[in-house]
Amino acid sequence: MSVLRPMDKLPDLNRATVLLVSTEDALLQQLADAMLREDCASELRVHLAKSLPLPSNVNRPRVDLIVFVINLHSKYSLQNVEESLQHVDSSFFLGKVCFLVTGAGRESHCSIHRNTVVKLAHTYRCSLLFCDLEVEGFRATMAQRLVRMLQICAGHVPGVSALNLPSLLRSSEGTLLEEL
Amino acid sequence: MEQLREEQAAEEAADPGGERSGDRSEDRICLLLRLRAQTKQQLLEYKSMIDANEERTPEQIMQENQIEAKIEDLENEIEDVKSTFEMRNLALNRPFLKIKIKDKGIGDLENMNIKKRLQLKQASGSKLSQLQMEKNKQKEDLESMKDSDMIKTMQKNLQKEIEIATVVQHVFQALILGSKTNWAEDSAFKEIVLQLEKNLTTI
Repeated sequence: MSVLRPMDKLPDLNRATVLLVSTEDALLQQLADAMLREDCASELRVHLAKSLPLPSNVNRPRVDLIVFVINLHSKYSLQNVEESLQHVDSSFFLGKVCFLVTGAGRESHCSIHRNTVVKLAHTYRCSLLFCDLEVEGFRATMAQRLVRMLQICAGHVPGVSALNLPSLLRSSEGTLLEEL
Repeated sequence: MEQLREEQAAEEAADPGGERSGDRSEDRICLLLRLRAQTKQQLLEYKSMIDANEERTPEQIMQENQIEAKIEDLENEIEDVKSTFEMRNLALNRPFLKIKIKDKGIGDLENMNIKKRLQLKQASGSKLSQLQMEKNKQKEDLESMKDSDMIKTMQKNLQKEIEIATVVQHVFQALILGSKTNWAEDSAFKEIVLQLEKNLTTI
């Protein structure tokens, strides 16, 4: 299967699956650990991948949330993410995709401008989160946020759907009126 | 390369205490209710996806005008939705703004002046509108008066009377001139003759 579709499989009962895509292995592992340590009523499954497309030979549950982690220090991570985006079905972008940007703290090491990522998130109408994943405290907070988002995307929160997420997570930088 | 990690964070914790069965059944009921809510939400999501996919995009080639018209309609819809959203945001924020203004002491006096001015404006506006209405009423009454039948019959009668009087005038004039009397000598006679000359339609 070359394209990830959000609704082509039935959901497992009480299970929520998140797919973390990034070239930064170490950061992903740490983030995955932090997420699994979180208190959550549903069963969490965390899949890690370097890039899409995923190999089709593995039997895999339905992915509820895709998090693309971009490191501002390396242009390769951005390139990788942009290439992987082509293998995601368009219906995923209705709130089930999130961009997580790390490394914004150290300006001198940044080779990608912040605006590039902001534009990318704006083009795909997805939520954009900033976090310094190397700091333990921030990582734990971000893991908590991602777990909440995952619960919403998996449909485990009655009354809130994944469609609400992009507008709810919109930062003050990009308001509705400025979009025009 | 893909890695898979699993962990179970199940809710059914084993109670070390004595009341196991009671607590467990409660836990199970809670779990079932939660699963029920989850399944409902997921069903709702799938249903909405199905409804969204039923809308087919036209496969035949549409004319450019139609496409442009459709694009304009969609843009207008987006504008309307955005404006209503902003209005609702403002409406929701209004109570917070009111509370903020109430907290300030000086702000109260300013509010009083503003309120009084507003009241005056409103009163003057209402008075002006009342005046206008009165004027319009009078105009309408006049115009309706013109059209009434009573006035027409009265005008007809007046016209008849004027004609009769004119005929009588002419008859008397003819009588006096025919009698060849000197009407200029007697002042009363003179006045009568001059009166007969008057054109009754201009009175």
